[in-house]
Amino acid sequence: MATETIVYDKIKGVHKIPLEEFYTSGHRTCQGCESATTMRAFIKVAGPRTVVTGSTGCMYVANTSYMTTPWIVPWMHTQLGAAGSSAIGMAAGLRALKRKGKIKDEPINAIAFCGDLGGGDMGLSGISGALQTDYDLLIIMYDNESAANTDIQATGLSTYGAQTTFTPPGSKHRIMQRRWKKNVAGMLAVGHPTCKYVATACATFPPMDYMNKVRKALAVGGPTFIHTYDPCPKGWDFHPRYSHEIGEFGIKSGLYPLFEVIEGQVVYSYDCRKTAKGRIPVKEFLVAQGRFAHLIPEDIDYIQKRVDEMWEEWEIPGVAPIKGILK
Amino acid sequence: MIAEEPKIKNVYEREDLLTGCQAVSQAVRLADVDVIAAYPIRPYTEVMDALSKIIADGELDAEYIIADSEHSQFEIVKHASSVNARAFAGSSGTGWCYGFEALVVTATDRLPVLFLVGNRALDDPGAFGVEHNDAMAVRDMGWLLAWVTTPQEALEHVLIGYRVAEDKRVRMPMALAMDGAFLTHSQHMVKIPTREAVRQFLPPYDLGDGRLHPDNPISIAPQVNEDWVMELRRQNWDAARRARGVIKEAYGEFNAVFGERYSTPFFTEFMTDDADTVLIGLGTVCAPGRTACRRLREKGEKVGFVSLRWFRPFPTIELRESLKRFKAVGVVDRDFAHGSPDDGGILMHEVRSALYPLKNRPAITNIITGLGGRDVSIDDCIRMYEIAQKSKTDDKLDNFVTWIGVRE
Amino acid sequence: MIKRVEINYRGIFQKNLGKKIGSDIVIIASGMGRIGFSNGRYSDSPERNGIPCKYFAFVSHDLSEEELEAECGAKLDIDQCDISVVLDDTMIKGVEPWGWHGVRPINEKVQPGGTLLVVTKKSQDELLQFIAKKPYSWKLATYSGDLSFGGLWVFRDDLTHEKTLGAVAGIDPDIIGIEAVEKYLNHKTPKEPARAEAARQAYDEVRKSVRTVKPGEGVEWKHEIPVLPKWFQFMEGAAVPAVKRHFELGPKGQSRNETFKRGTTKNQRPVVRFDLCTKCTLCWLECPDQCFDQTSDGLYDIAFEYCTGCNKCAQACPVNECIVMVDELQFTDDSSPWDAYKANPQKYTEWAEEKKRKGRYIHPMVTGTGLEFVEGELVPFGGKRAGQKT
Repeated sequence: MATETIVYDKIKGVHKIPLEEFYTSGHRTCQGCESATTMRAFIKVAGPRTVVTGSTGCMYVANTSYMTTPWIVPWMHTQLGAAGSSAIGMAAGLRALKRKGKIKDEPINAIAFCGDLGGGDMGLSGISGALQTDYDLLIIMYDNESAANTDIQATGLSTYGAQTTFTPPGSKHRIMQRRWKKNVAGMLAVGHPTCKYVATACATFPPMDYMNKVRKALAVGGPTFIHTYDPCPKGWDFHPRYSHEIGEFGIKSGLYPLFEVIEGQVVYSYDCRKTAKGRIPVKEFLVAQGRFAHLIPEDIDYIQKRVDEMWEEWEIPGVAPIKGILK
Repeated sequence: MIAEEPKIKNVYEREDLLTGCQAVSQAVRLADVDVIAAYPIRPYTEVMDALSKIIADGELDAEYIIADSEHSQFEIVKHASSVNARAFAGSSGTGWCYGFEALVVTATDRLPVLFLVGNRALDDPGAFGVEHNDAMAVRDMGWLLAWVTTPQEALEHVLIGYRVAEDKRVRMPMALAMDGAFLTHSQHMVKIPTREAVRQFLPPYDLGDGRLHPDNPISIAPQVNEDWVMELRRQNWDAARRARGVIKEAYGEFNAVFGERYSTPFFTEFMTDDADTVLIGLGTVCAPGRTACRRLREKGEKVGFVSLRWFRPFPTIELRESLKRFKAVGVVDRDFAHGSPDDGGILMHEVRSALYPLKNRPAITNIITGLGGRDVSIDDCIRMYEIAQKSKTDDKLDNFVTWIGVRE
Repeated sequence: MIKRVEINYRGIFQKNLGKKIGSDIVIIASGMGRIGFSNGRYSDSPERNGIPCKYFAFVSHDLSEEELEAECGAKLDIDQCDISVVLDDTMIKGVEPWGWHGVRPINEKVQPGGTLLVVTKKSQDELLQFIAKKPYSWKLATYSGDLSFGGLWVFRDDLTHEKTLGAVAGIDPDIIGIEAVEKYLNHKTPKEPARAEAARQAYDEVRKSVRTVKPGEGVEWKHEIPVLPKWFQFMEGAAVPAVKRHFELGPKGQSRNETFKRGTTKNQRPVVRFDLCTKCTLCWLECPDQCFDQTSDGLYDIAFEYCTGCNKCAQACPVNECIVMVDELQFTDDSSPWDAYKANPQKYTEWAEEKKRKGRYIHPMVTGTGLEFVEGELVPFGGKRAGQKT
């Protein structure tokens, strides 16, 4: 198994998760915010010897209300499309200072986070640049499928058919979000052969999976990337009580493929192929959210068809949208 | 504390033929910069070509990052600066504009990065020649902004620039502007200082409790509501004001180490002692300007030239005191400000505004010239003097702005 | 003459409701020949689920639109109001809109003789146990209604909107008149007379409910309004000190952001039966607000000042009846439940069961599609373990 090639401090049970917080209470995120859980978990397992940048987005604006902060570790805002470049800047600065004896030579994690708008659309080129370097840095793209901080506008990562403020259902056009979700993790893994670790994850499902992926990314070294699926109670319109369930439905329905690409090898964290765990119908995921309330059965069938295709026809199921010519 | 004698005997290690860009690269080496981010755009890019070779040859120990865009390039150095690394970048023309968002936040984060701006006309259409509008774009954003006129000055102002920018009373990013092609690519003999002399003048970069490091946990730039923005702007306003004093100090120290290189920090006057008419301009236009001045002096005309170096902070008091001695001031703009008051150039507005409190103001006239790299000849400058002289008696607004060098 | 109406609502859940009420007050007042305009408190934007927000409507009989705008517009909050509408009664415990503001009294902007208008099923006496006293007399008015919560895309049409318009007319006809309200609603939805009827009903109900609250009546407000530092009194470069690192087991063992607590976001809070807890960690693990503190005995205490009442812990808890979300107005302080449990397990459990029994919510997955308010079953202390949820 490729996972065995990474030597890292694995969290082997929920009782082994570090108790101490480095992103603490007192932030202005929504009730039930799954992205807040994504923030909490990564820094919890990365630990205090870490510097963090956060791109503009919910996890910037909602989290930090000047002159207060929920961050215990050093944290800095970076621009919407600058997750990749801010990570390079920190990592390069620290490396130079250590090498030149200007600061103590010790491991310091450099982690940058961005949303799907900042990372998956605007900042893609910057992240690509970062993944081509040899710096030890981790970029986490928390994907709540919208520009959630601007009051929910569609991004390149919004699920097909979703209602957003840019894609409202109307009397002529029922579906305005007609783009299929951009496959950012797959794209980055495929396009950056020297990047040793790319993964997708969900903060709370399966338990500890995400935390261990962060640990692996930091342990493997070099530039690494994790794409998280973060159900957003506000924009997806479900009660905050069910943030965990919605994420779980998204994964189990196959809409959100969970995988790792470790040194070029794909490892499924939740294998949705029929030959493996299989999938629950996408309908279960869709009807639990107000943003899909306008869909009709044919729309749901269409989404189901595309998801089936992802898992049963792609050459690398759920990862690369290329169909094998020999099939 | 200006010393009579240089503190160090050998302040120069050698003399070499260098372009403006190459001179800057030598200064970056001497400043022991830690992080450099590069992205190609003419004409500034030669500094990055030179630096990559300097690093390849082991003459400078720095991270050299080839960015994917100017936006990333500027963000990289901004964040490197935040972890207390001395950082260098640069750009030109629309490249500078591409990264503009990052330029804005570098100033509001008060991170003293130094940038070289090789002035270039803004697209469209694509053009390589000099125009000052690119660098001018940051003039209101909390940047230090200065123009140099020779490779020697360029080298020296990287050192002065870091010194001023990193001073705890200032903490502002520095844009060092130089005319594209005419200075970036023009080779001159340059005296290169010794490391020892540079160390004497330029202390190590220390952000103190503003640095991002696990030993100094802070949050930089949390989202503000209306309770805080005005106070933060007031801080930055004050820093820009304080910078004037720090600049004066820095030149004093520079002269103390390197000998009397600069008699005045903000601008250089030429043949102004008994002048009644002067031209004022930024950058390389001073060469034909001063030459024209010399020729007119030979004919007995009482003319002079003021070569402005620091645009931000603007030397309001010093320039006002200087220019009030003259009857007429012709402001030479290598930039444009379409639709602005009287349709003049940016420099003119700044100079005119600085002179406004005077009871007896000199007549002001405005010359737009040299756009897109169009050359400015000695004859052009002679014409500028004539126009300025005429303005002493003719202040009609329709003659206020003259385009020199345009086909009409 | 200016009439100012402030509408307090919970972000997102009541965003559309709050805005619609503000808009309709202006439209109805305009129909009566009055001048008005409406806006939201922009610093609430972007709204977050549960965060207390405000919408405003301003009406005048004699001022020009420009004068009204100059008096009431172009500012982020108002200084005082004639009516302060409260669309979720749990907000009477105070609201904390942003960092550094602290928890502010819900009636802070109610002017002398002004009215706090609350949609609630609680009695006015119950409400006054939470509302700050004032140096002058003001009025409290109520009209009956369940919590009206919707989502961003799927609203909840339960006539709270119409009732609020009727209630505002009942308090002050100089803002809008009830006939004008009825006329407007009947014109907008001619086939739905129930809307105008609901407005009239609330109008009658509110007029009967108005009570004058005397100076000094209400509770002592313990949160001081902070004085913001001057421009030279804080760090340059837009930096702020991080939360100081500290961790130990036990109640409040984790360091937290002291200047923004946001506990006023919640309208329910988890009540924990420590005796049923299996120490599975899931409540602690799922909490997006890091409210749970592990204690020396492996149980999890809750820092309620920071709890937003999101329900995630109750949903994650695998044990039946172990964590149950309960109406926030049943609680008067944020003290440690674990401390209370350790002091007297039986007494704590009886207390918890009493709370759980009275007011628990059942939320559908899509918020706007329904909400049940039910009485729970009693699980006695020392009795049979409640077992796994099904």
